[in-house]
Amino acid sequence: MNRVGLALKWFLFVWMVVVIWAAFMWIPSAEGFKGESSRIVFFHVPTAWVATLAFLVSCIASGMYLWRREPKYDFGAAVSAGLGLLYAVLATVTGAIFAKIMWGAYWNWDPRQTSITILLLIYAAYFALRSAVADPEKRATLSAVYSILAFVTVPFLMFIVPRIYFSLHPDVMTNADPDNSLDSAHLIVLLASLAGFTGLSVWLYSVGTRIEKIRHRRRQEVL
Amino acid sequence: MSRWLAEALAVAAKDLRAEFRTRVALNSLALFALTTLAAVSYTIGPYRLAAEDRPFLLSVLLWIVIFFAALAGLDRSFVKEEESHTAPLLRLAAAPTVVWAGKLLYNLVLIFVLMAMLAPLFCVLMGFEIAMPWRFVMVLAVGGYGLAVITTIVAAIIAQAMTRGALFSVLSLPLLLPLLIIVIEGTRAVAMGDLASFSESLRAMITMAGAMTIVSAFLFPIVWRD
Repeated sequence: MNRVGLALKWFLFVWMVVVIWAAFMWIPSAEGFKGESSRIVFFHVPTAWVATLAFLVSCIASGMYLWRREPKYDFGAAVSAGLGLLYAVLATVTGAIFAKIMWGAYWNWDPRQTSITILLLIYAAYFALRSAVADPEKRATLSAVYSILAFVTVPFLMFIVPRIYFSLHPDVMTNADPDNSLDSAHLIVLLASLAGFTGLSVWLYSVGTRIEKIRHRRRQEVL
Repeated sequence: MSRWLAEALAVAAKDLRAEFRTRVALNSLALFALTTLAAVSYTIGPYRLAAEDRPFLLSVLLWIVIFFAALAGLDRSFVKEEESHTAPLLRLAAAPTVVWAGKLLYNLVLIFVLMAMLAPLFCVLMGFEIAMPWRFVMVLAVGGYGLAVITTIVAAIIAQAMTRGALFSVLSLPLLLPLLIIVIEGTRAVAMGDLASFSESLRAMITMAGAMTIVSAFLFPIVWRD
């Protein structure tokens, strides 16, 4: 690994340590929440954000694959979908813990929970499709098509279904309620955490695609 | 444009003619729907549910029967071309978008036949009273169209894969679930005469079906080419 990459990696580690310290020690617990439950927001929101970002990257990489037909875009799409799945699971778990503390149950089919479940199902289906096609080129094409199709449903899950049904989940995009907004210290830690998690996922993405490239080269050598 | 439409209609007519020779898809659609309906009706019937629960539960049951019957019958449209080795000929004879439109029309006919049979029977057997019948027909039509669009493109994808039967449900259900949630809400709204909720879910349905139509029209040629 080159020097810049190594320096960035160490910087990322230090950054994440500072974020974790700030989230648990520096910030006072927010009012209106039970106990220390508000601290989970510094991890729940970034994981959900990275999950969305990863699915977006997967969709773009799939589109690039269909355009250019180069294997590297297929690796990118697959690795990114895997990361998206991982972060979506983390967002679901942290959300369920918060729901238990604040609203009394881990799971009550709140629209947000329904939509994240469907999202998990979609990307699990994506991997089911990948494992069902043996020919690498055909697998890349079909899974790219499915990934784009799947991404079309995401706005419906994120914005429309929660609008039709009543949800306890705070509104993500249009936070009109002034009592619900964050004070500046919380906002700084949240943004730092968002940046840290984004950096972490970029690093994981680069590791994942490098592994896929090595696997690809091995297959070529065997054939 | 009219030539394109005529060709698409020819593809759909070819499929319907082949379907009426064997009636595989129609039989599995109808039998699945009737069996589920019989089970639901036997257990619940018109008197078992409390009045305030009826619109919610009956609209869920109606769409469960429709969706799962569709999953049982609609996976054949492209698989049968691959199995009988007629796909290469179809690739030579017609442009990809024509094939897509033809298959979509064919699936639409199957779904609308199923709905025309099932929905009145369901309402009669379950005592499902609809406050706004014409809007109910609109929900069925738009929901059925969305169902046909999504299952058509998924059927095209699985025809290229190995384990076809199971994969069809695995790939379709997550894509269909948002639509399913919205149409169930729309059906509940028309049953209770809730105009505001009806209009909101109808708009969401149209947006979703429209987006899926455009995306699959663009993606289908890629799936179909090789």
